[in-house]
Amino acid sequence: MLRVSIRKQIGTSRSGNNERESRQAFRLDVEFMAASGVTILFGHSGSGKTTCLRAVAGIVTPDEGRISLDDRLYFDSASGVNLPIQQRRVGFVFQDYVLFPHLTAEQNVAYGIRAGENSGGLSKAAKRERARELLALLGIEYAARQYPRELSGGESQRVALARALASDPAIVLLDEPLSAVDAKTRARLLAEIRATQQRTDIPFLYVTHNVAEVVEIGDHVIVLDEGRVISQGSPREVTLVQGE
Amino acid sequence: MGGAPWKSAVLRAFGAYMIWSAFKLSLLVTFVATCFVVLLGTAFAFVLAKRKFRGRELLDAVVTLPLVLPPTVTGYYLIVLLGRRGLIGSYVYERTGWSVTFTWWAAVIAAAVMALPLMVKSARAAIESVSPQFEIASYTLGKSELETFFRITLPLASRGVFAGVVLSFARALGEFGATLMLAGNIPGKTQTMPLAIYEAVVAGEDRQAQILALVLTAVSVTAIYLTNKLTGGRTQGM
Repeated sequence: MLRVSIRKQIGTSRSGNNERESRQAFRLDVEFMAASGVTILFGHSGSGKTTCLRAVAGIVTPDEGRISLDDRLYFDSASGVNLPIQQRRVGFVFQDYVLFPHLTAEQNVAYGIRAGENSGGLSKAAKRERARELLALLGIEYAARQYPRELSGGESQRVALARALASDPAIVLLDEPLSAVDAKTRARLLAEIRATQQRTDIPFLYVTHNVAEVVEIGDHVIVLDEGRVISQGSPREVTLVQGE
Repeated sequence: MGGAPWKSAVLRAFGAYMIWSAFKLSLLVTFVATCFVVLLGTAFAFVLAKRKFRGRELLDAVVTLPLVLPPTVTGYYLIVLLGRRGLIGSYVYERTGWSVTFTWWAAVIAAAVMALPLMVKSARAAIESVSPQFEIASYTLGKSELETFFRITLPLASRGVFAGVVLSFARALGEFGATLMLAGNIPGKTQTMPLAIYEAVVAGEDRQAQILALVLTAVSVTAIYLTNKLTGGRTQGM
């Protein structure tokens, strides 16, 4: 169970002369939980959902609050705990994939495999084999030797998900993973993400502003608006307003 | 010249020897200096690009200074620092009886100090141009900052870093002023090609100067050609 209760000032609060700046500035103040399955953080762009995700990963630091996953404390302003990104064991899937351009698909995934804590690391061959398995899980074993520039958007995002899973994460965080792929690929990829979550049984926290994705993939939805949680529940229970 | 033919033959042989020893020494000094510059320059570039600390700009300024200072001034500071009575040099001399000045190591140090700014500038710019997203992605995969630097950032910055290596090599090869100050101009010991050219011209040995200048030009052109060839084919797909 992921428990998040954080506050953070985004941008400057000064009602400055720059209108755009003051519109972007807002206060993030959220409290939510995410259990097993796929939890969606839904909201317009600028609602603070990506900041929440990045705070869980440790990429941004909240001003105050507390983040914990199961019995592990990630962040607690009261006791001064702020676990480094590396130790949080989160798999992060970025909007624009962020595959390492100088590594093949297989090397990208193999790079993510965590060295065993007792054995002092897996052999190269073992890592390769594990990378192949993960690529096969996502149905893109055929692209193992290709470089990111040779992959389509859908393929790239599959590799990115495989890489995130390679690090043996306690939770997978997806930041609008389908926004850069075409509509046809989107539907297929969505089903695959869903299937992957069920097969691995790792909780997914999924950020999107797309209602169709919420309905299709979400077990639990948290709706954010202007930095606050305005409703949550199953996709059927909450009213969703299509984001831009 | 006089009528004794043996005299000119000896002089020619001596000239050839000077050219050969200056050539060998220059390559050795430049190679060793470039190795130091690559290691140090990359470390400085990493620190300057990635670490926020007080005095960062000061460090940047100190490292960059030889780029703008007259080389003789840099050489002078090196003497103040490393000379037999210098700040560090006197300590070493008292302990060991050895001084770096007028040894070929002095030529290495002078060349390295003069070339370092080019390496640091190029490598820092290249490192900073790599999107931080790649580093964050690597951190989420549990990789430390150092491992991320060597396996992700540096490979992605390799073109700029390599350009820095070649520029440094060329700069070290051509180093004159600071070398003269710290290492002197001892044929066969510290006389690198640029110094040998100067001496040949002063002595009116035009042929010798000509040959040395051509050799230096050829080495420089080859370095540039090799760089273009090595970096030309690869694309990073960024």
